Amino acid sequence: MTFGNILIILAKGAGYTILVTLAGIGAGLAVGLLIAVLQTTKVKAVQLLLAAYTFVFRSIPLLVLLFIVFFGLPGMGIRIPPFLSMVLCLGLVSGAYLAEIFRGAMAAVSRDEITAAEAMGMKRVQIFFYIIWPQMFRMAVPGMVNEFTSVLKYTPFAYTVGIPEIMKEAMSLAALTLRGLEIYLAVGIIYYLIYKAFVLLFETLEKRFRIPGLAGE
Amino acid sequence: MALIDVQDLIKRFDGKEVLKGVTMSLSEGQSKVVMGASGCGKSTLLKCLNLLVSPTSGRIIFKGEDITRPDMDIHRLRQDIGFVFQHFALYTHLTVEENITLGLRKIKKMKTAAAREKAAFELERVGMIEHRNKYPAHLSGGQKQRAAIVRALAMDPAVLFLDEPTSALDPQMSREVVTVINKLYLDNITMLCVTHDPFLAKYISDSIVFMHEGVVVAEDVAERLFYEHEDPRVRQFYLSVIDHR
Repeated sequence: MTFGNILIILAKGAGYTILVTLAGIGAGLAVGLLIAVLQTTKVKAVQLLLAAYTFVFRSIPLLVLLFIVFFGLPGMGIRIPPFLSMVLCLGLVSGAYLAEIFRGAMAAVSRDEITAAEAMGMKRVQIFFYIIWPQMFRMAVPGMVNEFTSVLKYTPFAYTVGIPEIMKEAMSLAALTLRGLEIYLAVGIIYYLIYKAFVLLFETLEKRFRIPGLAGE
Repeated sequence: MALIDVQDLIKRFDGKEVLKGVTMSLSEGQSKVVMGASGCGKSTLLKCLNLLVSPTSGRIIFKGEDITRPDMDIHRLRQDIGFVFQHFALYTHLTVEENITLGLRKIKKMKTAAAREKAAFELERVGMIEHRNKYPAHLSGGQKQRAAIVRALAMDPAVLFLDEPTSALDPQMSREVVTVINKLYLDNITMLCVTHDPFLAKYISDSIVFMHEGVVVAEDVAERLFYEHEDPRVRQFYLSVIDHR
């Protein structure tokens, strides 16, 4: 079996890797945005709860959380399928980091512009969607790309719950052929290519939506 | 009947009284300037009048309606008051045209084509039409302020508030903006402007309200207030600002 054959066999698992990454990013974005929006409320109890959430989920390693969800919860009668467990855990952890990125980006939106929108007669929800959101998103791009690549690098944990992503394929192949070095090198190359594709995609998007005067310009 | 009638307006911040019973009025078609030393409460007064700052007590009657009452619809009120800020406050992520059309489309519910037409008309009036597709970062200070004035005017407000519109500009850009505001004055746009700039005040006002430590101490036309007023606080102020120019 040539190195090229190994690469082709492993690339079949890349579909699951990309799927888990995209679903994890989606879940992380949803959680992160929800927290960032809720953080703007002035209710003290909500603020405390969200602070506790971000603190807890930034401190628990993803693998531990995944084991709690996939192997621990069934003890309480709650069974979550492997893919959903992985995406849920990625969403919870990544959401905690993204919430902080969004909070920082939101704080960077000029207070004067928000006041101008208020003075114009805009409602809070309009100010959020037309003034804060578009600027916040653009300013958060570098932090978001960083977090998304972390999500990609978390995906090998999916093999621990039986998802047939690259790592699982690689381990099976290595056990069968005893050519660990070449196989895991091939895994590294595939991850690098996926990472490069993600970064290129985000750089293109960033360029497309870049605005003079905002971050990055 | 006055368009705006302010009666005994008081505003306290953490126990510190910034406005100590301001009484003044503004009629339709009239242009008034509020002047006074820094910290006299003039910007707070302006922000109280469109409820960006809530007054502590007193009454503000706008178009015959007491806007200080608790159930006042502040969004509706603010749509009727154009506001121009010292530091322009243009939306960074939008072009000049989008800055102007945003309010028209989202607040006034105007169709995009009609909003763009309205923006073009207003930009033409202030000589800014060629800049309509530029982002604020690519404009000079004077151009930013002219765009901000257009953004406020495009909403067809009953009155235009200007909070130190030339303070952040160098003399040349300041002159550009004074020319535009003077044109509005000659078009009988109702305006209330807060400024330190006697040059601006002179060219855009029917009368000047002078504030000192949270109260109105004088109101008169520019020439009399600048050079002939008997109140020593007024004389002292104008002596300093006019001498320094």
